[in-house]
Amino acid sequence: MSGGPWQRPSLWIGLTLCVLGSALSVPPWRSLIEQSMVWHMVVQMPMLVAGGWLLAGSGIKGLGMQRFADWNQYGLTGFIASQLIAAYWMLPLAIDRAVVLPQADALKLVSLLACGAMLKASFDRSPAVLQLFFVGYAVAMLSSAGVFLATTDRRLCNAYSLDSQWDAGSGVVALGIALGCAWAWRLFRDTRRARSPMLKPH
Amino acid sequence: MDKNSNPAADARAAATGLWKTFAASAAAMVIGLACLLQATAQGNAFTTETLRRTEVADAPTLVPDLAIHDAAGNSSTLRQLLAGGGRVWIVDFVYTRCQTVCTSLGSVFQKLQQQIQARGLEGQVGLLSVSFDPAHDTADSLGAYRDRMRMDPAIWRVVSLSSPLDRRELLDAFGIMVIPAPLGEFEHNAALHLVTGPGMLVRIIDYDDATLALETALAASP
Repeated sequence: MSGGPWQRPSLWIGLTLCVLGSALSVPPWRSLIEQSMVWHMVVQMPMLVAGGWLLAGSGIKGLGMQRFADWNQYGLTGFIASQLIAAYWMLPLAIDRAVVLPQADALKLVSLLACGAMLKASFDRSPAVLQLFFVGYAVAMLSSAGVFLATTDRRLCNAYSLDSQWDAGSGVVALGIALGCAWAWRLFRDTRRARSPMLKPH
Repeated sequence: MDKNSNPAADARAAATGLWKTFAASAAAMVIGLACLLQATAQGNAFTTETLRRTEVADAPTLVPDLAIHDAAGNSSTLRQLLAGGGRVWIVDFVYTRCQTVCTSLGSVFQKLQQQIQARGLEGQVGLLSVSFDPAHDTADSLGAYRDRMRMDPAIWRVVSLSSPLDRRELLDAFGIMVIPAPLGEFEHNAALHLVTGPGMLVRIIDYDDATLALETALAASP
């Protein structure tokens, strides 16, 4: 890649996603996540994670967390921490709290941005097998939680209607599938680059 | 990796880093799991609804003493009403225009009323429906609801808040979240709330478990 970080599209796309994702927590856009579980769980949350990921990969000093590389060999620590953050924000009671309590919502913004940034730092340091382990777990977690949300007759979030919950469930399954596909695409891309004699002579 | 570096030094550095990584990963795991356990009442509650039921069962709370009125227009306060008759009350929350979940709650209360009548438990257990739609639920609306539900006034009472400003406090005290639904309706978490005479909310039971609610109320009655 060429040019300074400010010339990279990933920085600008990342910033845009962070700003848009955070804007959804502020009136007047806040009503979208207050009224629709889809906006909250399928739009805002992934937006923040993706924003954190892109900013961490933007090349801005410090955002890539190179300083912590020793503490994050093979990306292990980042994977564990981001998985736990993601698991927390899939709890119905955590989603309710983010709707009702501004402090909880602020924690959500910060932790999901950090989750994305840690994932990026970890992906860059981990072999494909370890990635497969964590991505596989995340896909399984997202799709089973999604299917449960989409099929149960119990309202799991007091903040959302059952209809909204069913829609969000389908969306979460779609997210899981998209995550799996994105990982596979990335792996193919990197493998092809690694084999290309122009980039890495053997 | 630097081409000129010493492989032995690299291996040593990698091993040190690995210990740091294991320590950091273990810390992340412990802190993360502790947070998850703390948030879910030690893994017992994954929804707000189960969490509030667990919390109330562990530590009963005093309900707020809000001004209320009944279908006849008589004013009182919530705790005064609950203290009357030395009974344990099974409380639910309604709005009288409701066509959805309140209809099933209404039929649960009708069944409870029949059981209380049949077993002669009027002195021990009372039923109370509280409206959370004070702007709409005037004494007349409450009266119409009472007639529609065929309430026996000796067992089942319906009241509304005298001041719409108290609505938030009422809902927060019982952990009810009301969200607007299409056609001017509301959607809300519905359950059976057991309140003892002095106004202590002691248990919250699913409205599918009406029999359990009645037995629990009887066990709690003096």
